[in-house]
Amino acid sequence: MEALERRIDALRAEIRRSVVARDTARTKGLRAELRIAEQEWEQAISDLAEEAGDPPPAAAGRSSAGSLLPVREQVHHALTLLSVPAAPKLVAEVHAAFFGAAAAGGLAAGKLTHLRRDEKRSFGTAPYARPYYLCAALTAEHLAPARGLVAVSTWPLERRIVGPLSPRVDFLTAAVRVAERAGTVPAGSSTLARLVWRFASNIPGALDIAGRPDTVDPVTVIRAAEAERVVHADADRAHRAAAAERARRQLDQVDQLFGNTLRTLPGKVTRRGGAVSRGNPTVQEKTA
Amino acid sequence: MSTLTALARAEAVAVGQAQRITTVRHLHVADRPLVFIPLSMAGEANAPLAALVGTVPDDPRLLVVPQPRNRDQRFGFAAELAEVLLPYLDSFRGVTEAVAANRGKEVRYRYVDAPQVLVPNSAGIGFVRMFGRSTRFRRTDGDYPVQPSVPLLGQWLTFLADRAEHPGSGMLLAMTEALGLHWATGQSALEDAHLAALLAWIDPADGLSGADAAVVAEDPLRWPPAGPATDPTFDNEMLAPAMAAYQEAVGSGDEVRRSRARGVLEEAVRSQLGPTWELMWRGVSLLRELPVGSRVPGRWAEDRDVFSTFTLYVDGGGYPQPRRDGAVNAAQRLHRLERALQSYAVQRAYDDPLVMADHRLTGEAFVGEVTLADAHRIDDSGKRRVLRPRIQVTTGDVVLVTAGAVLHSPSRPGQKARVVFVTPDPASGRTDVVLELSGGLGRSLSPAPGSVPEVGDRLCYTTLSDSFMPPGEFPSREETPWTHGGPPKAYEEPVEPSVDDAREEWS
Amino acid sequence: MTSISMGTSRTTAERLATIRGGAKPKRHNARTIAALTRNPGCARRAVLDTAGVDKQRLAAYIDFPARFGQSGFAIARGNAFEAQVKASGAAELVKLLRERLGLPIPEVAYDDLETVTGREKETAEVRYARSRALLLRAAAGEDGAGTLFDHPLLGLDVAGQRVYLEPDLIAFQHEGRFHVVEIKSFAVVDGQADPGKVSAAAIQSAVYVLAMRQMLAEAGHDPEIVAHDVVLVCPRDFSNQPTAVLVDVRKQLAVLRRQLGRMTKVEEMLAVLPPNLCFDLAPDADGVPTRAPEALVDALQTVDARYAPDCLSVCELAYFCRAEARGCTAALGTSAREELGGIERVETALGLAKGELTPADDQAEAATLLRNAARLRAEVLVAAAGAAG
Repeated sequence: MEALERRIDALRAEIRRSVVARDTARTKGLRAELRIAEQEWEQAISDLAEEAGDPPPAAAGRSSAGSLLPVREQVHHALTLLSVPAAPKLVAEVHAAFFGAAAAGGLAAGKLTHLRRDEKRSFGTAPYARPYYLCAALTAEHLAPARGLVAVSTWPLERRIVGPLSPRVDFLTAAVRVAERAGTVPAGSSTLARLVWRFASNIPGALDIAGRPDTVDPVTVIRAAEAERVVHADADRAHRAAAAERARRQLDQVDQLFGNTLRTLPGKVTRRGGAVSRGNPTVQEKTA
Repeated sequence: MSTLTALARAEAVAVGQAQRITTVRHLHVADRPLVFIPLSMAGEANAPLAALVGTVPDDPRLLVVPQPRNRDQRFGFAAELAEVLLPYLDSFRGVTEAVAANRGKEVRYRYVDAPQVLVPNSAGIGFVRMFGRSTRFRRTDGDYPVQPSVPLLGQWLTFLADRAEHPGSGMLLAMTEALGLHWATGQSALEDAHLAALLAWIDPADGLSGADAAVVAEDPLRWPPAGPATDPTFDNEMLAPAMAAYQEAVGSGDEVRRSRARGVLEEAVRSQLGPTWELMWRGVSLLRELPVGSRVPGRWAEDRDVFSTFTLYVDGGGYPQPRRDGAVNAAQRLHRLERALQSYAVQRAYDDPLVMADHRLTGEAFVGEVTLADAHRIDDSGKRRVLRPRIQVTTGDVVLVTAGAVLHSPSRPGQKARVVFVTPDPASGRTDVVLELSGGLGRSLSPAPGSVPEVGDRLCYTTLSDSFMPPGEFPSREETPWTHGGPPKAYEEPVEPSVDDAREEWS
Repeated sequence: MTSISMGTSRTTAERLATIRGGAKPKRHNARTIAALTRNPGCARRAVLDTAGVDKQRLAAYIDFPARFGQSGFAIARGNAFEAQVKASGAAELVKLLRERLGLPIPEVAYDDLETVTGREKETAEVRYARSRALLLRAAAGEDGAGTLFDHPLLGLDVAGQRVYLEPDLIAFQHEGRFHVVEIKSFAVVDGQADPGKVSAAAIQSAVYVLAMRQMLAEAGHDPEIVAHDVVLVCPRDFSNQPTAVLVDVRKQLAVLRRQLGRMTKVEEMLAVLPPNLCFDLAPDADGVPTRAPEALVDALQTVDARYAPDCLSVCELAYFCRAEARGCTAALGTSAREELGGIERVETALGLAKGELTPADDQAEAATLLRNAARLRAEVLVAAAGAAG
């Protein structure tokens, strides 16, 4: 046991040296050795524990992993509430605020990336077999999947398209939706109050003088968010509508949901081999 | 850096060991200092990760924050630190002594001893300041209540960090700076900020040159950094897995697993703190071996004064120090620091011929032998006959003072020496300086015995003066001119922390 | 942060490839460029950096490993804070810009330049082209040409070589003026931040300002429309809430321009070096570089270094150069070197101080001072030892 511990320490020290030396191959090998040593140690300690008559320390703590299905539902709930494409972090926060903090841990951002890939595969095998899919938001410019956003397949394309003004408009829309819901919840939780407050603090006129989470008034937040949304709404709507029209014409079903990543769209500039010289770009960017 | 110090560095290179740049110690070293080695979490604003703290070399107390981003755990750490620090501070509040104040018209009392906190380096002092800032406004009621000891700890840490800026104060010291004040290594000042490397030069391991010992000491695997920043590979390879395992163990609800995981985490941070703990105490013994300078107790008395005053302030329920100083306070503070800096520099030179040698080299001081003395010379040019002895000092030092300049001798405080003639002799390279003495001669027209140097005496004369500097005058805070922002704003004055102060968001 | 290096003439490029030994060039970023300006007189560093040699790997292989590396905690915190400020169309940043720079309500357009087509691996050319197109369109003042540009890819000429940089930043345009926004996760507590970190952020931002100005100038726009005030966004106090401060980087720009301009053109540096100079770290089947460490040390010694203690915090090879500089006064720091009269070697300074060496003409003054210093030091130490004994 002690020999094992000494070995683990020595391996860790070696790893630290090889990391500094940027010796990836060696680091990889050492890490593998370390993992084995650590497993042996774990085994040894639980053997010891069993000898001592303690309950085996495994098994517990794995329950949170669960299947992806409930997570999918959770995301759908939160997105439906927001009604706009959102980043995984916001989805998780909304879920925690409205549906209980317990689930927050289950909505790790990394998991959502997996989820989207999973949804795409599922749609590819049996299109529309599920009532909804968690899919991508599309960039207005290239109809490519927008970085870091999740959307729902049942939404109209216009809602899933993001142009330059859309992040702000969607932010304001989400603020309105969250504040509306917060107004209907009787004794608002502090997590919910903080969520509304976080939206409000970035919208002009949405906070009172105290500016604290416990004094946020949902009605004021809604009024302020609507006031700003009106400023951007028309331009954004037009932009999205045009892009959505283009998407319907140019993309197949899968790409309409998950974005165009595989080929270059007709009417767009070919990028492959488009070397950039010092002064003049040979690539011309046309924006829709 | 002075030429003498640079020369000492050069000698250190040649000899392979650090060289003394003082003949005495210019710092007070307490009988019972508190050594405090904080570690913080990378990337966070002063989030404590762990600390080793204590007053006895073989009994350090380890404080660990298993999840430094957790607000409650941070304040838990603060409460634990308070459990160590506050009783330590209180332990000096026993015996007092009476001191004459206001030109003897009043008497005030000060404690006969005071606390001394030692951290490894100047970043450690920065940690103390920031941790003081983050705890002194906390409240014991409201949204995020903390234990009453937490804001109190904050006030004291802030007090200590302020003292650390005061030249000559010994209440909060960085070990690297304390050692660097007395030794010159054969490396750069930048490298001296590494405690292990610095000590490797001062006290190299057997058979190694300082340079080789320092190279060994720089290996973070053998000598972990003295904090508060940890070694990145430690973070990535040791700490992160240990923290993750602890989180998981907490989630499992299995107490055996949790305590085992905590044990692993504690071992990990202890491995980073333990070596520095040893170095700190080695540093303390090295400093103790130096003979103490004669003006050090006087400066420590000032520390004791300030400590005594601040205990009264805290006892009286004084509010935490403001976030920032108002204009008048800031100017006063700056003035105080400047005076302290000047007086500290002079005192060190007076206490230490090796420090004085810096001034001799630049011509601000000279040491020579008295070659002529007229102890009974009377000046009758004025209305009243006065005793004005003259002496001639012959020196091989560079003399840049000119006739009319007023000089002082460290061994004869209270006596002034006005330069009458300066006569260099290019042939011998020596200079004769004729000085006229006044003060400290007794009351009659013949000098008191021993008050005038005799032929053959060796003396140092310098332009540096240790005499009292009058404090500057400043407007009252209410009268701060608008050019300086007007009267102080709320955050520039000590006030009761508001609910918002206490609520201050934490990452 | 990623970037690619390209350009320069064919022969120079071949030469650099030889020096690199066929490995992929290490990429520059604003931090490495900012660091370049710290010691522009060092030929060793200039050659290795221009060739894109992996100095960290090289240093470790010759047994002088650098102590660089970033804590995963710091990286995670930095990324999380950046993501937070940029979330929801950079909602938090928009608020700060409205408050600090009077950005009008309608100005919220946000263009993500990190990906163009959503594909996993996009060439830098594609990204540079799009960044350039969008930024130039905004510079031309076209209607609806955008306000916030996240992760633009920029280019800069360094030592005669074009380097592409990807700032983790948002370039922000308002009334025809661009500002560089730099998001950093160190805290601003009571309006004050770690001066070292602020100045590092300032010099990095200055690199971006310079690169944006170069891009605009090449396209015939007035480069001065990129403001010299950069917006530094940091967490406030101990919270996660962002705060913005304007940092004037004029001084840093001047330093950068001067140092970049002064950096000897790489061709000139290469001309005086052995034609077969090479720092190949190509590994054999066991992952060990095929060349012996001694051969690499020999190669390094053919290129002059200018070591200073500052190098330890910026250059991966510093520990090697420090060992090489043992016995040099420069290794003791600039101020020590100056106090020793600029004498290069420690033993020379000591020899002059003890009067064992006869000073050269230009050393006369220094020698007098050193002799005086040595006399004083010896006198006091002897007296002190006598008193103690």
